[in-house]
Amino acid sequence: MPAGHGVRSRTRDSFSRPFRKKGYIPLSTYLRTYKIGDYVDVKVNGAVHKGMPHKFYHGRTGRVWNVTKRAIGVEVNKQVGNRIIRKRIHVRVEHVQPSRCTEEFKLRKVKNDQLKAEAKAKGEVISTKRQPEGPKPGFMVEGATLETVTPIPYDVVNDLKGGY
Amino acid sequence: MAFVKAQKTKAYFKRFQVPFKRRREGKTDYRARIRLTNQDKNKYNTPKYRFVVRFSNKDITAQIVSATITGDTVLASAYSHELPRYGLEAGLTNYAAAYCTGLLLGRRVLKMLEMDDEYQGNVEATGEDFSVEPTDTRRPFRALLDIGLIRTTTGNRVFGALKGALDAGLDIPHSDKRFAGFSKDNKQLDADVHHKYIYGGHVASYMRILMEDEPEKYQSHFSEYIKKGIEADNIESLYKKVHAAIRADPAAKKSEKAPPTQHKRFNLKKLTYEERKAKLIERLHALNAAGGADSEDED
Repeated sequence: MPAGHGVRSRTRDSFSRPFRKKGYIPLSTYLRTYKIGDYVDVKVNGAVHKGMPHKFYHGRTGRVWNVTKRAIGVEVNKQVGNRIIRKRIHVRVEHVQPSRCTEEFKLRKVKNDQLKAEAKAKGEVISTKRQPEGPKPGFMVEGATLETVTPIPYDVVNDLKGGY
Repeated sequence: MAFVKAQKTKAYFKRFQVPFKRRREGKTDYRARIRLTNQDKNKYNTPKYRFVVRFSNKDITAQIVSATITGDTVLASAYSHELPRYGLEAGLTNYAAAYCTGLLLGRRVLKMLEMDDEYQGNVEATGEDFSVEPTDTRRPFRALLDIGLIRTTTGNRVFGALKGALDAGLDIPHSDKRFAGFSKDNKQLDADVHHKYIYGGHVASYMRILMEDEPEKYQSHFSEYIKKGIEADNIESLYKKVHAAIRADPAAKKSEKAPPTQHKRFNLKKLTYEERKAKLIERLHALNAAGGADSEDED
């Protein structure tokens, strides 16, 4: 009999709980709040059966577009044929984690604002653009000695000493 | 020695999943906790308050707690060891004392939030089921009863504390099924029996029985009551005075003790690497000296 293509097919490992982390899930997942526009990661928690997203969305990141009593509406990109559709799904909070994808950007924004304010106070003009890593600078090699290596003529007697 | 098959092998320990710390200690029921602290997501950061009642052997703790990721924060708390301040000296863990503690916490919270004039609650405790009516200006303070690990039986003291908080004016969803005096046959709460329990009537009747039948046991069992001059007849009026005193001044009093400058240690301090090595050297010296003495004796 063939395997079948049900909604949770091929999810034996991805939906299973990690080793020694079974049972009740820690309370912080329930205490987090999500606002519309936040970025979240969708990661299915196999211990909670309600409000599970389809296995396609496991590991995707999207934005919050709706907040209801126990679930979050997430907008995720999905490639269908030759185009990418913005799909809106509702997921219970147990299957959602706050995403850190914008964390670096937010920190950089705050730091840049601070740098610009300081420069404005001093009257300087600064650029806060990120620069790509350039080529490494040149350096002098220290403590180098010259050693000339030349090939030595093949010596039959020496090489046979093992098996002769 | 007989061959004993090891019950807990290394494999057993490798696969063992340790329960949560408070579950190991047997103090928290996580199934109930998840359902009590889970707040609707479309209410964002609005706190969800729990009315926590816990009993120890000699004390009653009543707290209003809200949960956050960093830890639970206590909004207000009341203990039965505060009741001597209001005139109750003996019997600090009975049903009536639980009622007083719940009442004290309720009035304290309402005073803290400046709602105590609006919501007087049930001033005269009758034992009937009382629920707060919302006024026009503000909705009543809502909390959910958190019992902990207690078995819910009719007449349990936690429900005495619940009744105290309800009469103080808090909005706690409840049913009268578990109050003292609810009869399963009639499916009705007998308000007179509940009233008796709130004012310590059950304690008073036991005192009367003992005084008549076993005076020596009465002397030993109720020694504190006798010392403070509490008798079976003046128990009800005593509790009435305590209720009035609580309603008059429920504010918490800060203790005059200064916080200790150096904290008390409850466990041994960990030794440093050098200290541990020094101890080892001492032990080896001692062993060598003792071993040397033995071998000298043998020779």
